[in-house]
Amino acid sequence: MTTKGGRRPPGTLEAEVMGVLWAHAEPMTAAEVQTAIGGDLAYNTVQTIMIRLRDKGLVARRRAGRGHLYWPVEDGATAAASQMRAALAGRPDRQAVLQQFAASLDESDAVALRDLLDVARRGRRS
Amino acid sequence: MTVTVYLPLLLALVLAWSAPRIAERGGPGPAARGLTAIAVAAAASSTWSLTMLALTMLDDLPPLAALDEHPTLELPEPVPGPVALVAGLALLLGGIRLLIDVRRRLGTHRQLRTAGAAEHGLVVADWSAPFAVAVPGRRGREGHVLVTTGMLRLLDAGERRVVFAHEHAHLAHRHHRLVAATAAAAALNPLLVPIRGTVAYLVERWADEDAAAAVGDRDLTARAVARAALATVGSGSAAALGINGGTAVHRVRALTEPAPTPRRRRLVVPALLGAGFLTTVTVATFEFVALACAWL
Repeated sequence: MTTKGGRRPPGTLEAEVMGVLWAHAEPMTAAEVQTAIGGDLAYNTVQTIMIRLRDKGLVARRRAGRGHLYWPVEDGATAAASQMRAALAGRPDRQAVLQQFAASLDESDAVALRDLLDVARRGRRS
Repeated sequence: MTVTVYLPLLLALVLAWSAPRIAERGGPGPAARGLTAIAVAAAASSTWSLTMLALTMLDDLPPLAALDEHPTLELPEPVPGPVALVAGLALLLGGIRLLIDVRRRLGTHRQLRTAGAAEHGLVVADWSAPFAVAVPGRRGREGHVLVTTGMLRLLDAGERRVVFAHEHAHLAHRHHRLVAATAAAAALNPLLVPIRGTVAYLVERWADEDAAAAVGDRDLTARAVARAALATVGSGSAAALGINGGTAVHRVRALTEPAPTPRRRRLVVPALLGAGFLTTVTVATFEFVALACAWL
């Protein structure tokens, strides 16, 4: 991953770190987070972001060996999920007013998309 | 005047038919903005027309007697009684649909805003359904991205960057305003429903292009969109939605092609159509304002 498209907008790095921590089942060290994000990020940058996230109460940590293991604090996410469910679950009319990243597909669309993915994969290999 | 009063209604039909066909010629951004402006103008002028037609039912009422003192002003008579009645009903229904749409939109956004304090522009919800959405801020304040753990776990680090960049583009360009404006227009005039769909698609394309530029990789962007869309297949709540089926395929295909560059020659037809609309709208608005002034 490069940043040739320019600087990341503010907050994007924190979002990426939170994304990595949530996607990973186990607590992670800052070095593991750095590897998972990939590319040109300096270790110190990742470390700084983790500390900032911890100050905001979004990330918890415990000492492990010489460093720390970090994991996302679940309270907020659980609360957010119940709010989201209340707002959206079983309410297609409400989902329809949102800009969702990817709305649903029918089977023929799914087939077309899988084909496109395959073509893209072959293109990269060749 | 008997004919011109029906013109805005007819033009909405032409617009609804042609918009999806010419939508992407100027690139998704200008196309979304232009279509929104035209849809709002078309809805306004058709509302004026319906109002004038409906008023012919009431022209015996005392307030309208004022028209007798302005011989140059007239309602678009003769209008058959049933036409006036249908116009009045259409007007009423449009108003009701508009109210419902606005309430649902504002209510949904308000409820999603309560899902968490977005201190770094991101709220994570611990929910297995793959879902990412831009929640617009209130009164000019920055909005935030609401994403489920299901979506985060589905994608790899690069694809997650695409999602964040895509949703940030929605927020930065205030896409919810364009979508809300065309939805309002479509509520007032159901002939404009296809435009609502087209603009909803165009803002997704717009955000895709922004995301592709931000991560500097069109293939990665295409893969993120395709994988997120595929994950929604068969998931209950998303399948019930069903409104945007097909658009994900178009979006992915567009991303596998080079970035769009607007070609001026291909914009002649849309520009002419737009000019025609604006003329009709101006005439319709002018007549309506003149009538309203005489009445008051």
